[in-house]
Amino acid sequence: MNVQDYISSGIVESYVLGLSSPEESAEFERMCAAHSEVLAARNAFEIQLEKGFQEQKLEPPRELKSRIFSEIGRDKSPVTHAPLAKPSLVPRIGFARYVAAASLILLAGSVLLNFYLLSQYKKTIAKNEELIAAQTQIANNNKVLQTKMLSYENAVSLMQNPQMLVVKMPGVPKSPAPSSLATVYWNTQSKDVYLLINKLPAPVPNKQYQLWAIVDGKPVDAGVFDMTEGISFVKLKTIPKAEAFAITLEKKGGSSTPDMDAMYVMGKVTG
Amino acid sequence: MGSTVTYSEQELTAALKAKDEQAFSYLYDHYSGSLYSVILQIVKSPEIANDILQEVFVSIWRKIESYDPIKGRLFTWMLNISRNASIDMLRSKNYQNSQKNQEVTDNVYGLNQVTQMNIDSIGLRKFLGKLRPEQRVLIELAYFKGFTHDEIAQIEGIPLGTVKTRIRSALLQLREFIK
Repeated sequence: MNVQDYISSGIVESYVLGLSSPEESAEFERMCAAHSEVLAARNAFEIQLEKGFQEQKLEPPRELKSRIFSEIGRDKSPVTHAPLAKPSLVPRIGFARYVAAASLILLAGSVLLNFYLLSQYKKTIAKNEELIAAQTQIANNNKVLQTKMLSYENAVSLMQNPQMLVVKMPGVPKSPAPSSLATVYWNTQSKDVYLLINKLPAPVPNKQYQLWAIVDGKPVDAGVFDMTEGISFVKLKTIPKAEAFAITLEKKGGSSTPDMDAMYVMGKVTG
Repeated sequence: MGSTVTYSEQELTAALKAKDEQAFSYLYDHYSGSLYSVILQIVKSPEIANDILQEVFVSIWRKIESYDPIKGRLFTWMLNISRNASIDMLRSKNYQNSQKNQEVTDNVYGLNQVTQMNIDSIGLRKFLGKLRPEQRVLIELAYFKGFTHDEIAQIEGIPLGTVKTRIRSALLQLREFIK
């Protein structure tokens, strides 16, 4: 079929009036694109048809136009409503402000609370340190007391011991401190010697008190002792046999023979 | 208002695509009469035609973007929208119920006869009268009732080729008729 035959087949009218099948329409559109005569024939028929229809007008009701315009006006309603939608942003901004303000208040509150808690924490730490120090001191005191108690217990047990021979040593007439007094507790069984210093002046520097046992008229070293521990029994050397005990002040570490001029106290063993 | 303004086809299309209400007003003023005529020729009821014309113009306003000048003139596009909307209405349940009622009313009062005569005297309906009866039936079914050629072949009990040939020859006469 040549183009002219195609044009005069009725396809132009069929297509324009919407009576052609989808396949026919697709083919016609291809022919229009390929052949200007087909396109020209279509255009001519369209103009002719429009002219014919325009000559056969029927006036629709007048109000129809305004009805149509009001309907398409509603299409723009999203646009005209847009400014209306915007005010709803204002509360939102307001809300955001509230949120921002609230969060600032919360932040400030949190900072204050942190400062408060930090100071409380520091106070607590300090208090805790105080308590630990106090507790340590109490524990130390307790230790001291325990030690003292132990020494007293020992002293008491020594004094209670029935095997213990007590030798009181008062100040000798020529003593540098005549009011001095010391007591020897001598275990008759084990021959252990314990010394209780009742009253003795503090020794001068580089000097030490020394206990002597008098055995057969001769002095025998019974050991040196310090006075730093206060009132307590000092265990000295074991003495198997003695008639008397005496204390002299000697050079530090003691001497082999006593300085008779520096004798403070002496007591005879009785019984 | 815009009575003195005239648009070329391109200007009008461009203005409509730009959602120019003045152009749309011009379009309505210029084409509502002929499109209303076409709609009325199909649905035959002025009330229904009013609704369809409104629907058609709203549709033109909304769907102008989809109009492709390569495929035809603006009027052709609008004419086909009008025809399709009218045929859709014919096929709707509401229309068919209303037509049954209309027939009863018309038969009682003979109104349908008057309307019918008016419509038959215009446009393509007038053209139908010029056609041979066997062609007239097919154009009626194809153009005014919207049946496909296949459906018409079944309805009329004639071969598809014959349907096509008769419709085409009738349409070729239309060209002479409009001239």
